[in-house]
Amino acid sequence: MSFRLVAAAALMVFAAACGPKETVVKIAVAVPLTGDMGTEGQGLRRAVELAVEEANASKRFPFKIVAAPYDDRADPKEAVNVANLITSDPRVVAVVGHYNSGCATPAAKVYARAPVAMVSPAATNPEVTAQQNSKDWSGPRMVFRVVPTDDVQGSYAAMFAGKKLGKKRMALLHDKSPYGQGLAEEFKKGFVAQGGKIVSEDGISVGDKDFKALLTKIKNDSSKPEGIYFGGLYTEAGLLLKQMRELGLKDPFAFISGDGAMTFGLFDVAGDAADGAYLSIVGVPADELPSAKKFVEDYKAKFPNDERKPFDHFGYEAANIILAAMERAGGPDRTKVIEELKKTKHDGVLGTTVFDDKGDTTSKIVTMTRAVAKKRAFDSVR
Amino acid sequence: MLVQQLINGLTLGAIYSLIALGYTLVYGILTMINFAHSEVLMLGAFMALGLAALLPAVFGTGLVGLAGMFILSMAGAGLINVIIERLAYRPLRHISRLAPLISAIGVSIILQNGVFIWVSTQSLPFPEPVVIGQIEVFGATISSLQVIILLASLILMGLLHFFVEHTKLGKAMRACSDDIQTAGLMGINSDYIIALTFFVGGALGGAAGVLYGMNYGSIKYNLGFLPGAKAFTAAVLGGIGNIRGAVLGGFILGFLEVLASGYIPNGAQWRDVIAFTVLIIVLLVRPSGLLGEKIAEKV
Repeated sequence: MSFRLVAAAALMVFAAACGPKETVVKIAVAVPLTGDMGTEGQGLRRAVELAVEEANASKRFPFKIVAAPYDDRADPKEAVNVANLITSDPRVVAVVGHYNSGCATPAAKVYARAPVAMVSPAATNPEVTAQQNSKDWSGPRMVFRVVPTDDVQGSYAAMFAGKKLGKKRMALLHDKSPYGQGLAEEFKKGFVAQGGKIVSEDGISVGDKDFKALLTKIKNDSSKPEGIYFGGLYTEAGLLLKQMRELGLKDPFAFISGDGAMTFGLFDVAGDAADGAYLSIVGVPADELPSAKKFVEDYKAKFPNDERKPFDHFGYEAANIILAAMERAGGPDRTKVIEELKKTKHDGVLGTTVFDDKGDTTSKIVTMTRAVAKKRAFDSVR
Repeated sequence: MLVQQLINGLTLGAIYSLIALGYTLVYGILTMINFAHSEVLMLGAFMALGLAALLPAVFGTGLVGLAGMFILSMAGAGLINVIIERLAYRPLRHISRLAPLISAIGVSIILQNGVFIWVSTQSLPFPEPVVIGQIEVFGATISSLQVIILLASLILMGLLHFFVEHTKLGKAMRACSDDIQTAGLMGINSDYIIALTFFVGGALGGAAGVLYGMNYGSIKYNLGFLPGAKAFTAAVLGGIGNIRGAVLGGFILGFLEVLASGYIPNGAQWRDVIAFTVLIIVLLVRPSGLLGEKIAEKV
């Protein structure tokens, strides 16, 4: 009896503590905040915080906006849990996320049921938006993304390998994830179409550490591959590079990979072995975008001790696009925000962003970079 | 190519063997599987990293620094294993066979999450105290790292062999492994010998952790899980409780993985499946492992 009383009292206190003091509207940031991809997610969180802070300071909205971070641990199961948490919080107006395509695809299904808009700053597998065309899609179209997709990135890398580097035979590796495998397949399509030959194709597992046996096989392949294209993330890419160099696979034997591997963590894993790796990134690095100059400076001013990550300007743009849609919608109404997002024509750090009917940005720019270990930097290759 | 693959397999096998020894030593005495062993391995690697970060002038450069890093991390990992035994296993030893097992899983989760929360949630670069060069032998490229890993493992295995076979403490250990109660009646302090076994097993695990970190260049809170599981498999394959069996099992597993990913089309995807299929077949034919003896039921 007394326990019930205490419990009831506690509940009341709890309810009172949670009661609205001022109206708060949340923009969820659903990204990996811990684990190997955690650094990328933390960068995106900072970028969204910056956008939100600027919006609050500008007094454009009659309520307070906060960036609410959620950790999906780069794990599709966890992404669905997080998506359920987000949709059940009525104060969340829209989601910036997810980072991984493997997470974004299942999570989008959850958001569609609410419905709440999801704007991905980094998930590049075409399926993330394309799934909205399937018959079993339950809900309106509410997936958007500010980054070009892997079909653009993969075919660009194939063109680069064939035309710029003059490679005719490549070995293909991927990490069997929707992102990695998708990217590798797009590369293959493009490379074969221009007359190149894929001499071998192997899948590895995320979390594997030892690729020496596989690399030895590629090194001794009788059809003499001139390089490796890898679809996957930086941990495996770093280990591959390190073990490649240990086996004597050096320049001009090329290592080409995509944006999942293009992050400073690559230098932590591979050390000097990262030198000379080719990595493509969707869009243009923030440092080379005139329109992103102010963002780069503000970011440095607000977070002087943190390295800006390669996707941060996309996160910032995603948040600003949501904020602009909310402003046009006249308030934090989830459905109206989705409708307004479709009409987006946003001039921001990425230039002008317009979404096509799938929700993908119409910008199809891909940049190829080359890792320089000494500077911990990725220099654009033209 | 075969020479190269054999060298790849040797390095992988050496690391598995060292870890497998930790499982087998403990099992030999307590017939208990120390599931926290994979975390001892992880902590060994983190201690080495910590030493190199705190005193880069001492531990960050040269072979002497490397040796010092090794010995201190081994001692630390050994001590941690002793503490785990004292706090989490000994009080439960006489209660049931399952209780220490569950306790071990608990310790493993606590240690892993402890590092996750307080140290780092992501991969940290592991220092390279010696410059890594390559040598060409018989058309194979051997890196100095592989030489260090092989040498260090062989030296440690040799020391362990000497300790167990030719010292008094080793004799006491073997006596406890044969029959712990009778050994106690003969005047051997079995609690002390058990703690010693945990220390030796933990130290070997710590060494394996440092080698693992050196080999792959980065370490992470959950690095122990996969090699731990593989090494446990190796110990069972060789005959758990048998020291030579653990070494043999480790090398066999290393070779199997390398050969599977090197010679079977798309074998990299299948290498674990192939390795574990072989394990199942071996266990079907020899249930107590390759070198395991049939143990008569203890009454």
